[in-house]
Amino acid sequence: MTAKQNTAMHARRMLALLPYLRQGETLELAELASAVGATTSQVAGDLTALSFCGVPPFTPDEMIDLAIDGDTVTVLSAPPALERPVRLAPREARALVAALEAAGHAADDPLVTKLLTIASAELDPAQLAATLRAGDASAPVVGIYAVLAEAIETGTKVRIGYFSAGSGTHSERVICPHALANDRGAWYVNAYCESACAMRTFRLDRIREAEATGERFQPSVSIDASVSMPAAGLPIAVLRLAPTAPHTEERDWPGATFSVKPNGAIFAEVPYSSATWVARRVAAGLGMIDAIEPAEVRAAVREVARGALAEL
Amino acid sequence: MPDPGERLVNLALFLAKTPRFVSAEELRGEGLGYPEDQDEAAFLRMFERDKDALRAAGIAVDVDEDGRYRVNRTRTFAGSLTLCAEETAAIRTAVAALAVDEAFPFAADLTIALAKLGQGAAPPVAVATALVDEDPRAQGASAALAAEAIAARKLLTFDYTNAKGEARLHEAAPYGIFFREGRWYLVGLDTSIGEIRVYALKRATHLTVNPVAPRTPDFERPEWFSVAEYSLLPFQYGPEPFDAVVRFSAEDAWRAPRLSGGNGVIEEQPDGGALWRVRAGDARALAAWCVEHGPGVTPLEPAAIVDAFRMGLQEVLARHDR
Repeated sequence: MTAKQNTAMHARRMLALLPYLRQGETLELAELASAVGATTSQVAGDLTALSFCGVPPFTPDEMIDLAIDGDTVTVLSAPPALERPVRLAPREARALVAALEAAGHAADDPLVTKLLTIASAELDPAQLAATLRAGDASAPVVGIYAVLAEAIETGTKVRIGYFSAGSGTHSERVICPHALANDRGAWYVNAYCESACAMRTFRLDRIREAEATGERFQPSVSIDASVSMPAAGLPIAVLRLAPTAPHTEERDWPGATFSVKPNGAIFAEVPYSSATWVARRVAAGLGMIDAIEPAEVRAAVREVARGALAEL
Repeated sequence: MPDPGERLVNLALFLAKTPRFVSAEELRGEGLGYPEDQDEAAFLRMFERDKDALRAAGIAVDVDEDGRYRVNRTRTFAGSLTLCAEETAAIRTAVAALAVDEAFPFAADLTIALAKLGQGAAPPVAVATALVDEDPRAQGASAALAAEAIAARKLLTFDYTNAKGEARLHEAAPYGIFFREGRWYLVGLDTSIGEIRVYALKRATHLTVNPVAPRTPDFERPEWFSVAEYSLLPFQYGPEPFDAVVRFSAEDAWRAPRLSGGNGVIEEQPDGGALWRVRAGDARALAAWCVEHGPGVTPLEPAAIVDAFRMGLQEVLARHDR
């Protein structure tokens, strides 16, 4: 942020903090900082500045009187006005709609409508929808997301129907969900899978349905919200990609290393946990990607291609 | 000089507490924090900026016919918000995580929005977002700037390197932005060719909003414009669009809406399968898409896609015959 933006955010945070300052209450600085998305030192600075604010004649009873003591602040005298939450400004409403869209809610989702009706009068949702699309809200994962988020919070096991892109198969599993992550717009859940007896990452738009079983598990705080796959120890597939092939970018093959030969051919060494996953992507090259080795992957490519042809 | 934040809060509190309209001159004399040695023109400029800042913070400031000011309480205060557990879960986890994702272009505004809604507390579960994997801060900043230009209807200039590596300066009337698979895109009218183009913002640098007459729009966006029509699947780009049909098997029919990206029409079939009727621009790319998302996803029409699917897979078999 530039200095000018920092000053503007400082002022906006000060205004946003006003409704939190109720007379006689003692508040944790850390909680206030979290509420306004700031650091504890930033919010301490905001509160210090607010303690100099008020209305004329700026007598003690017309000032915001705050006592900051270590990690807490006590409100001795509440703000003389603006004691209730202010509506969202259009740009704030835009941010909220965009975030909900990125989280999987459509622009006409009841939650979006409800928030805009109550909290913002000035944003035209139709105009916004015409100019901004922050996510693929067509993928109906919102309900699945909510089930998983609640299950993580309560430590409840969930039964899911899942399509594995790695194996191309459908299955039913019971999982202990620990963390949610969004990677490049797609949501994932990191969970202990009772069928696999191991930690697994499931993509939410491949979960057909999710239902809490009611059975509890012990949540783990050590499992982070990340979808990165540790490549160490995995077998390596060597691929040759034509320069015009699809999926020639490094981001298309997680953990891969690339080299380009003088004739323009691209070679990729791809770590994989599922030969079928590599094989399906090779087959999708329709002859522009070759699996050079190992034999296991070449055999999987043949199997995928034959299977797809048989479906015609 | 007093903290500008203190002056703004004093002004907001005074206007909110005073039920009558108040002139700028009266406000200046109330000791709200405007420098006493400031000349009239400098004061008015500062006051205009402060009014803009209050409005940007959601405080509705009315002006009467004499140019005096008052807070409109009805338009300023939010109603009472009640959320069910599911709605709270969505806001406090997914949305809150985006507020700290540097690739999300509206993170600062989202932070304040969540604070106003009383939903700014730390997420109750482990959740993180990484919307963009390639230079997330730069893409987020570019998307934010483009969004401002779209809202203000100001022209944007930027250096752009296309997929072939050709670089040149572009000027565009920005109409919309969209996010797809980890990248932000700008849709705008390229003023040099008079056609609408889609630009990957990861390829754009030195974005500049036309600084001339910032409050006066440079262009009108066509009424028919909808950014969703430009947020296409890879096989939908092509010079001569055509209608295609893809079949999902009964076991995979539920995946059709997830994979369609909101494009086309999905029809349930008596056998439990689904037909997806969708506009395509590249037969080979659609055939490849079907293979990639299979099994259970096969092209039906037109014949060109079926041929590309069949011949492509036969080529794959020939190249992996042992």
